[in-house]
Amino acid sequence: MSDLEQNKTDLRSVSQTGFLKILNVAGIYGVVVLFILLGIFLQLLGVINNFMTASNMLNIVDAVSMLGIVALGMAFITYSGHFADLSAPTTMALTGIVAVQMLQFGFVAAIVSAFIVGTIIGLINAFAIGKLKVNPIIWTLALNYMTLGVIRVIWANKQIYPDMIASSEKAVELFDNIYRLRFFNKIALPMIMLIILVFLFHFVMSKSKFGIQLKITGAAKKSAEYSGINVERMIGAAFIISALTATLGGLTVTSLSRVGAWYNGAGYDFKAVTAIVIGGMTLAGGRGSIIGVLGGVLVIGLMNNLMTLLGVGTFSQDMIRGIIFIIVVGLNAKSLRNLGRDDA
Amino acid sequence: MRNKINKKQILSLGDRYRIYVLFVLVFVVMTLFAPHFFNAWNLTSIMKTVAMNGTVAIGFTIILIVGQLDLSIGTIITFAAVIGLGLKDAVGYGVSVPLAIIAGGLIGLINGLLVAKVKINSFIVTLGMLTALQGAIYTITGGNTIAVTDDQAFAISDWLQHQIVPMLTPRVIIAIVLVVSFSIFLRRTRKGRNFFMVGGNSKTAWLAGVDSDKYTIVAFVISGVMAAIGGILFAMESAAATLNLGTNSLMYVLSATIIGGTSMAGGKGGVFRSFIAVLTLTTLYNGIVLLGLGNEVQIFISGIILASVILYEAFVEYRHDKVVGQRPELLKELNTIQ
Amino acid sequence: MSERDVGKPAFEMKQVSKVYPGTIAVDKVDFDVFPGEVHALIGENGAGKTTLMSMISGSFDDYTGDIFVNGNKVDLRSPAQAKKNGIEMIYQELSLALPISVAENVLVGRLPRKGIFIDKEKMVSETFENLSKVGLEHIDPMIPIEDISQHEAQLVEIAKALGNNPSILVMDEPTSALSREEVERLFEIIDGLRKMGLAIVYISHHLPEIFKIADRVTVMRDGHRIDTRNINDVTQEELIQMMVGESVTEFYRHDIFSGEKVRLKVEKLTRYGFFHDVSFQAREGEILGIGGLSGAGRSELARVLVALDKRDKGRIELDGKEIKSRNMAQALDEGFAYLSENRKTEGLAPRLNIQDNILSALVPRLSKNGVYDKEKGDPVLMKLIEELSIYPPDPNREVSNLSGGNQQKVLMAKWIAIEPKVLILDEPTRGVDIGAKVIIHNAIEALAKEGRTILLISSDLPELVSLSHRVMIMRQGHFIKEMQKAECTEESVLLAANGEGA
Repeated sequence: MSDLEQNKTDLRSVSQTGFLKILNVAGIYGVVVLFILLGIFLQLLGVINNFMTASNMLNIVDAVSMLGIVALGMAFITYSGHFADLSAPTTMALTGIVAVQMLQFGFVAAIVSAFIVGTIIGLINAFAIGKLKVNPIIWTLALNYMTLGVIRVIWANKQIYPDMIASSEKAVELFDNIYRLRFFNKIALPMIMLIILVFLFHFVMSKSKFGIQLKITGAAKKSAEYSGINVERMIGAAFIISALTATLGGLTVTSLSRVGAWYNGAGYDFKAVTAIVIGGMTLAGGRGSIIGVLGGVLVIGLMNNLMTLLGVGTFSQDMIRGIIFIIVVGLNAKSLRNLGRDDA
Repeated sequence: MRNKINKKQILSLGDRYRIYVLFVLVFVVMTLFAPHFFNAWNLTSIMKTVAMNGTVAIGFTIILIVGQLDLSIGTIITFAAVIGLGLKDAVGYGVSVPLAIIAGGLIGLINGLLVAKVKINSFIVTLGMLTALQGAIYTITGGNTIAVTDDQAFAISDWLQHQIVPMLTPRVIIAIVLVVSFSIFLRRTRKGRNFFMVGGNSKTAWLAGVDSDKYTIVAFVISGVMAAIGGILFAMESAAATLNLGTNSLMYVLSATIIGGTSMAGGKGGVFRSFIAVLTLTTLYNGIVLLGLGNEVQIFISGIILASVILYEAFVEYRHDKVVGQRPELLKELNTIQ
Repeated sequence: MSERDVGKPAFEMKQVSKVYPGTIAVDKVDFDVFPGEVHALIGENGAGKTTLMSMISGSFDDYTGDIFVNGNKVDLRSPAQAKKNGIEMIYQELSLALPISVAENVLVGRLPRKGIFIDKEKMVSETFENLSKVGLEHIDPMIPIEDISQHEAQLVEIAKALGNNPSILVMDEPTSALSREEVERLFEIIDGLRKMGLAIVYISHHLPEIFKIADRVTVMRDGHRIDTRNINDVTQEELIQMMVGESVTEFYRHDIFSGEKVRLKVEKLTRYGFFHDVSFQAREGEILGIGGLSGAGRSELARVLVALDKRDKGRIELDGKEIKSRNMAQALDEGFAYLSENRKTEGLAPRLNIQDNILSALVPRLSKNGVYDKEKGDPVLMKLIEELSIYPPDPNREVSNLSGGNQQKVLMAKWIAIEPKVLILDEPTRGVDIGAKVIIHNAIEALAKEGRTILLISSDLPELVSLSHRVMIMRQGHFIKEMQKAECTEESVLLAANGEGA
């Protein structure tokens, strides 16, 4: 073994991590640029219109801002080496429903109770996966199912509407505005939230004590434990962050649809994983960045936008997205392996 | 030493047979409390529901045994049903059904190649496959249920519903034959044992000359084929392929496989146990409906059961970790002091 | 033993080479083993012996040169081909499948069949037969590997290789996880196999073992074969010189420790079932050796001292103050540090770089208000890379790409970095080459000179005896003997560890 390692050493006098970071980040932004060039090209050919306009660019970001919010939080889980939070969809649904239900006590009560519920779900995941070390994929799937059960038992398949429940017109308006509030008539609130989260999370992941310890935990859990890192708390915190961004996403989706229902948030689990993984975060943990995940989100946005402009049907878009997803990840895996890495 | 091993053996024995105990328990409770539960008609309908997911669970169990995951089974079920019924008018069941099954196998092959050869995590591969297939299904059908309405189709549908042996329709018999064959194959043949070796430690397998890649790929192909068989037969019996046919299967089959005692970590599990677990869950759901509780309660309870099983296993592991390595003679010393 | 010039070798390699992109790992090496011979292969980490061994076991399909088995030219380009030619390997790192039964592991690839089905009765009886060869009659062949101990698993590994009735057996550090008794037992087995006419290749770092068991020895360095000698015609010093290419004088302590100030006081420390009523004191600047067989409870004691495990009873005092850490982070704050014995899984994060690894335990101290200040760690990082001559001296290099010795130095640096009052070292030089070993020993010495207390757990007797000021012997969960410098010899420690001469 050691011989193998020794020999590999001689091949790489380049600084490894630095180079890979560039590869991972530039890789996804390379794809971003590629899609933009493709759009410009198609527009010049006259195949599509209105791609290269400020409002379309804003649209693209706007359309993926909710996905971005959810994905950025979930990225902490992937970074910690625990794949993904498949309970995100029903977390979004439940927190949305709870918020609508609590609008009868006013807007603040609604938001606060949504976050309380989100935190509880995060704590349950944190306990099961951090403390009891259960498999994160099956556990979060099971919890997703259970939460769905809770919603459907309590609200019995009913959909609830803010304007029928809220205590005042004002509360309804505020709730509607979570999604609809526009700054300078252009920039939507979710977009602002996304930008703030990018800065905040980038800092947390790469510059904070928690972020560094989470990285070590993700890269080698047992060694982290033997370095005095409280790995249970690190992993738990990652799941709580994810639950909180899912709550934010849930509130936004519910505000958008103006209805609290069990299906709000459906599909966000897999979409978020797609963005995270395309963004260069490997499932093995400890590798990747928030900026990369943002790139992944933008790629999805660009792809959707181009396909819509091209008149590709919604369902075919799914198909193409799935295929592109596998290709991008496959290429990434291959390039990592060429560098002697095997952790894609 | 001897004592410790015996205790362990009892524990692992309990783990191995827990699903049978659970099944008997559920069955007895429902017989006692659920109205109209214990009668031929109801039991037949339970068996019919079991047929599809029981077949799909075969493939999923093998996937877990080799240490992988296949999230695409639900969409393969629907995809196969859509192909099989959609092409019937053009080429007839004689060609369309084998085509549907081959399609399932091909999808499995693609999954397997990407996992084994390109070395992408199976969670990602099958997730991408799920998204792609979902899109393909809706693109092909335009979002509509495919129904077949000619006499031949109805005749086949009728035949599939007819009980050859009391309570056993052709689909149920096919499922049971598949489960028994795969169970014997996995437990009693060298090739079958190799699947466990690949999941247990792929290096051991490689050193013993077992081609891990090949077994991984075959596992995905089996998973695809089983999902396709389950889907197409179900659709033929109902003479319609609805687009949400396989939607609940992933959760259903995954729960059953885990509850049945197959390990997510690979190298451990059994097809027959998964089948009994599917039977247990179906019996439970059926009973819940008969007890007058709704679909909601069913979802809730199955979530709770799965969660309890996962937590129970984690707890056992947690306790095991605490005492592993303890010296029995030192513990004895402790007893003499007290 | 010396009739080998008459017969022809059971196994012979002529001018074999293996090239990795950029480097030649094995360069035109000749190697042979005769039936009834134990041929030892030694060399520092990175010398090419592991590559040569992997070649024998069929791990490469792109080697060059010729390989002969019983005089016939063969291709060994897959493990299956190697097996077919009667070659079996015993790996240093276990190659058993944990969730699978002992029987299936032992008989992997050749499960007995009746028709197309597996013959379970025969499977059990054949396994039993193989297990009894290594003294494991008491193990139920049907329980999974994860339910037996690591020692037993190591022996199962050997039973597995023997079960294939090999004519050529390659053993890579087979004794690294075994206790002394088990090593003795293994040597008896090897001797028996030699008498039966097997050709055995024996790879080890442990020179005394080689003098005990080998007939001939080949030394490798930098991918070349340096020399092959009869064991009777060579001394340990000569071998070391051939391995390192220059003469190395190992440090040996003669002075008696005279420090007074008690730093660590442990009273009746107990973790039920692991160790009971352990009491001792260690002074400032003292290197206290803890000897004993593996499984005596030494690592378990260390884990409790740094609060990785909970104690059931007892008292720990550091500089007169009682310590009640609830987790390892608190223990580190109090001034403890623990270098664990398994560097790959419990020590390093191999996928991260040198910087992240060396600073990993220092993160809390380099952080203020939750913000991590990377630059603040640079001075200590660069100082340690230099002091321990970590190669390459590039903090951004990924640790998995370093040699074993340099990985161990990184691990050592990680614990020196936090400047502990009490540093517990658990097998600090296991499996590292002599160059790295000397550097690590000097570092331990320097730490003690600074006034730090070192608890040295080591199964490497020369290391334990030469470095320690005092040795405590642990056996079956108890401290049974304390030995002052004067009475410490390899023999006396070994006797005490085995419960004799107490």
